[in-house]
Amino acid sequence: MGYRKLLTKKMEFSASHRYWNPEWSEEKNREIFGKSAGPYGHGHNYCLELTVEGEVDPETGMIINLDDLKTIMKEVLEDFDHKHLNEDNARFKDLVPTTENIARVLWEIFEDRLEGSEKYRLYRVRLHETRDMYVDYWRDGQ
Amino acid sequence: MSEVVTFTKSYRFSAGHRLYIKGLSDEENFRIFDSCSNSAGHGHDYYLEVKVAGGIDSVTGRVISPEELDRAVTPVIEELDYKRLDIEVPYFRDRQPTGEHITEYIWNCLEPRIPCKLVHLRLSETESSYFEYFQEEECPYER
Repeated sequence: MGYRKLLTKKMEFSASHRYWNPEWSEEKNREIFGKSAGPYGHGHNYCLELTVEGEVDPETGMIINLDDLKTIMKEVLEDFDHKHLNEDNARFKDLVPTTENIARVLWEIFEDRLEGSEKYRLYRVRLHETRDMYVDYWRDGQ
Repeated sequence: MSEVVTFTKSYRFSAGHRLYIKGLSDEENFRIFDSCSNSAGHGHDYYLEVKVAGGIDSVTGRVISPEELDRAVTPVIEELDYKRLDIEVPYFRDRQPTGEHITEYIWNCLEPRIPCKLVHLRLSETESSYFEYFQEEECPYER
């Protein structure tokens, strides 16, 4: 029987967003998105938990070097940290930056960044929007 | 390739309970339940995590709106909050008000009220203990 080995690294970022569908009236946006439709956006301290699955290298004892993972996460999150996602991040030009959509975008970016290794693969993106709310995202059946 | 998206929101409630089997003596109850069987009961601050699954709506970008989930969950929690479970909540009159039974009760109340798929409940009774409840075939949603 095999064992599943996972490694998770957390990183925080602070970002602003606005829930707004340009095809709807102000009234409908308010009705669907509530306070999140405010004209100037608002922010959260997001906490990303990135989980990587893989084999433990017998020499290093690691699935992936945590320092390398930290570097990749920092680079990726530069486009998110202290940004207004609707305005400053092209991925959300036509996509509402809900926690669900941010998690999906992060999956796509990190899947690309971690591609090419036979030893490990992206396993799960967990994104906390507040202490009380989080979204899990993953893709199956590669 | 299929994607899995779950949304989890937490709720709090405080409730009292006493674990006690009516047909047994106080000593026997104490042997089974220890201080949880103390005669006047005691309480906890419960922390409930409700996990739902579904596709990301292409228009709203959401699985469910947090407010919609609140509307489903809050009335269920209200029935328990600041109550002495084994006395004031009928479900627990003939069941021990343990974390196991509380999660089962909450699942049964919540499932028909939630507009997407309820997949997992986690109920923390203290910092060091929690209970989980889900249908076996829904395990793929917990990763």
